[in-house]
Amino acid sequence: MSLNFYRRVAFGLSPNEKPDKDPLNWAINQLDTIPDLLWPGTIPTEKDLRKKYGEWVYGDREVLRKKFKNDKHAYRKAKDELRIKTGERYFELNEHAIRHFQTKYSKQPVFERFWLFWGNHFAISEKDFLAEFSTGPYQREIIRPNMVKTFEDMVQSVTTSWCMIHHLDNSESFGPNSKKGMEWGETINENHARELLELHTVSPNAGYTQEDVIQLAYIMTGWAHKWDRKNLETGDIWFDQEMHQKGDKIVLGVKYKNDAKRELAKVIHDLATHPICIKFVSTKLCRHFITDEPTDEMINPVIEAWNKSDGNLIEIHKAVITQAYKYNENTHKFHPPEIWLMQLSRMFDLNIPLSFEKMNYTFKSKPNNRQRQLSWILREIGHSPYRAKQPNGWSDLEVDWVSPELLLRRFWFASVELPMLVKSGNRSHGFILSCLKNNFEDHENMASLIDNFKFGTSDYDLGQKYGVICNLPGVLKI
Amino acid sequence: MNCTRRNFLIGGSTTLFLSGYFPKISFASMQKKNLIIISLRGGMDGLTAIPVIGDKRLKKLRKKLILEDVLNLNSDFGLHPKLEIFHKLWQKNQAAFVHATNIPYTGRSHFDGQNLMETGAHIPYKEKTGWLGRGLLASNIIGKGLAISLPMPLLLRGVPQNNNFFPSPDFVETKLIDQIYNEFKGEHNELIKSTLDTIRQRPLSMQIATDSDDRKKLALEAAKQLKDQSGPRVAVFDLDGFDTHAAQGGVDGAHADELEEVNKIVTILHENLGQAFDNTLILTLTEFGRTIKQNGGYGTEHGYGSAILMAGGLLKKSQVYADWPGLKKKELFEGRDLNSTIDSRAVYNSAMSICFNQDPEFLRKEVFWGDELPDLSQELFKI
Repeated sequence: MSLNFYRRVAFGLSPNEKPDKDPLNWAINQLDTIPDLLWPGTIPTEKDLRKKYGEWVYGDREVLRKKFKNDKHAYRKAKDELRIKTGERYFELNEHAIRHFQTKYSKQPVFERFWLFWGNHFAISEKDFLAEFSTGPYQREIIRPNMVKTFEDMVQSVTTSWCMIHHLDNSESFGPNSKKGMEWGETINENHARELLELHTVSPNAGYTQEDVIQLAYIMTGWAHKWDRKNLETGDIWFDQEMHQKGDKIVLGVKYKNDAKRELAKVIHDLATHPICIKFVSTKLCRHFITDEPTDEMINPVIEAWNKSDGNLIEIHKAVITQAYKYNENTHKFHPPEIWLMQLSRMFDLNIPLSFEKMNYTFKSKPNNRQRQLSWILREIGHSPYRAKQPNGWSDLEVDWVSPELLLRRFWFASVELPMLVKSGNRSHGFILSCLKNNFEDHENMASLIDNFKFGTSDYDLGQKYGVICNLPGVLKI
Repeated sequence: MNCTRRNFLIGGSTTLFLSGYFPKISFASMQKKNLIIISLRGGMDGLTAIPVIGDKRLKKLRKKLILEDVLNLNSDFGLHPKLEIFHKLWQKNQAAFVHATNIPYTGRSHFDGQNLMETGAHIPYKEKTGWLGRGLLASNIIGKGLAISLPMPLLLRGVPQNNNFFPSPDFVETKLIDQIYNEFKGEHNELIKSTLDTIRQRPLSMQIATDSDDRKKLALEAAKQLKDQSGPRVAVFDLDGFDTHAAQGGVDGAHADELEEVNKIVTILHENLGQAFDNTLILTLTEFGRTIKQNGGYGTEHGYGSAILMAGGLLKKSQVYADWPGLKKKELFEGRDLNSTIDSRAVYNSAMSICFNQDPEFLRKEVFWGDELPDLSQELFKI
């Protein structure tokens, strides 16, 4: 088995890890339990961060905008102070640190790869202040605990999470015949219903119609944030009977009797166990771990595992890894920038993320450049994880990640930025060679390409070496 | 299609082209014509950009989204006040609009819709190339596409050696690029290899480092490249944020902010293309329009018919070109959306025929599978 399997399903091997005698077993044994988050610094709860979100939007919208409505300059200044006080510019950086610390040091890196996958399948795209306050904790508290349950459990949690409901506007969706709908002349917002069908479960392959979307939106009416004058839209999610569309609904030919808040769980059950949903999500899993265009032969065993286990994600994950192992030698997979960065960080023990002491924030001044570094790098290489442009998340296809500028940015990172992330004890040529040997079959050939600089340990020399080896075909791609 | 020629260009180098080995062509076609597409992702609301004047029904259904100070175009249509460059160009016959138009897609999904607006096809995700890429290929215009975005937009795929401009914060040494290039071998590495080819052939001014957050700088560089007689002939800008389900607003608000971005780009292109603006067409592209009626969040839902904003010296005259379907309930698509009476692909096909000096009939077959797309060149563009 090639060493590249450790990058296909994880992040490669760190300098103190050695290849396992049984790589398949090594990988599969990582999926039964949820590893603890290792970050020794602050890990705020979703609820705490939502409170901060509330302070920020209330402070800006309800206080500052009114107070300074005639003075643009004073408004801007007060707003910047509010950013500092509420951590508006800080929490996303901290979340990136938590995430990258995890993928770098986790004893279950294969589990962590699935964590990234599901966070992107149920993507929260760039909207309002979700990336600043909410997407990180959503991935920690909603996605992660469900990874040892069933797919259906995951869909239930995601669909009723504050983050997804805010992301897809379900709080603005009123049943037209509901009490509030009639009183205020309001109607449905289809956004969440459509994405629940299209992206999260059955996909357009199921052939649903506009009427199905409307009917599902009816079922979903009432699932909304609580609202009050102080917390605005950041209140907890509840089921508001007065927003809920009354009457029976029909989605994909199945009738759902008028049953208030219980309707949603029933329709999610049907969607999450629909054969087309199972095929769609299994294909996406295979695409992520095996190759851009997985064949039925690759996908079918995953579908079988899904059916046999009634959608148990542990079993599904194991089947995916088994397939990835089986096809490891004759398939290729290009890795998007963030995973590439995580792999470099683990294989070469780079100095990211920043230590938790240095990440500490006092809410008294702007985060400093060092604290911003990791998030800045992610943005510059084109893959800031919480800032996908659309609810379908980041693409898993090579063709979406290969453009002149996207490649140049990797070259730039490896040759200019990376040398500054090499720890002082790791600057020798021998260190690089040992990392290459640990992770690549053709390490000798790779070493020969940087032999000219074997005596150099300056940032420039390291840039010449890492610039090449990080961008070789076998590193960008498996 | 001339495969030999194409393969020759892919495998060979553009220096032959520059050193005069190109077959003789007429003077008129020597004058380089530019086609610039600005993608408006999320669903641009045609009725906010180009509002109908005095429609009572629209006023009633959109109480919170009404524009007070529209710029006048003609007796029927106004222009959103944030689109002032279009108003300025309108006076000079260099701005025009196609209204009640869209790609033939009624599904209301962003992802399917954006896929189709770029591929020009009927079934989402079926085609892997963009109509603009295919149009360039069919016209044997290779290596002349420029995207102003970090990824390569689907719209431009299908023709090799496209470039994009979205520079990194620091310079990358040519030596490094060459060394990596030499290591890429084998069929599964072809995409990366050909992309590296493009990088190696970039003009010097595109090898600089700049702040890519600054849309102005990006548009400036695009203008500079397009102005160059041997530079790109096609540029693609990408804007998003048109999906205003909430707080869409009127003169100000979420949709107005996005229109302002379009205005900025066109302003910079107009100012910096100079004379080349006369040989340029700028067209917007979106996946669908939005519902007539405002929703619960003072926004609008995904709809159908939208509008195309156009600017440039290759326009025939200032006009709102439309076969107006009306806004009465029964005139709406599914009782809720502005209808589309013009397949927007006909506009794009005609624009390509003007800018690439091609027979529209030929392009229709090569690019759009012979779909029924009338030639609108006579009506819309200078021939």
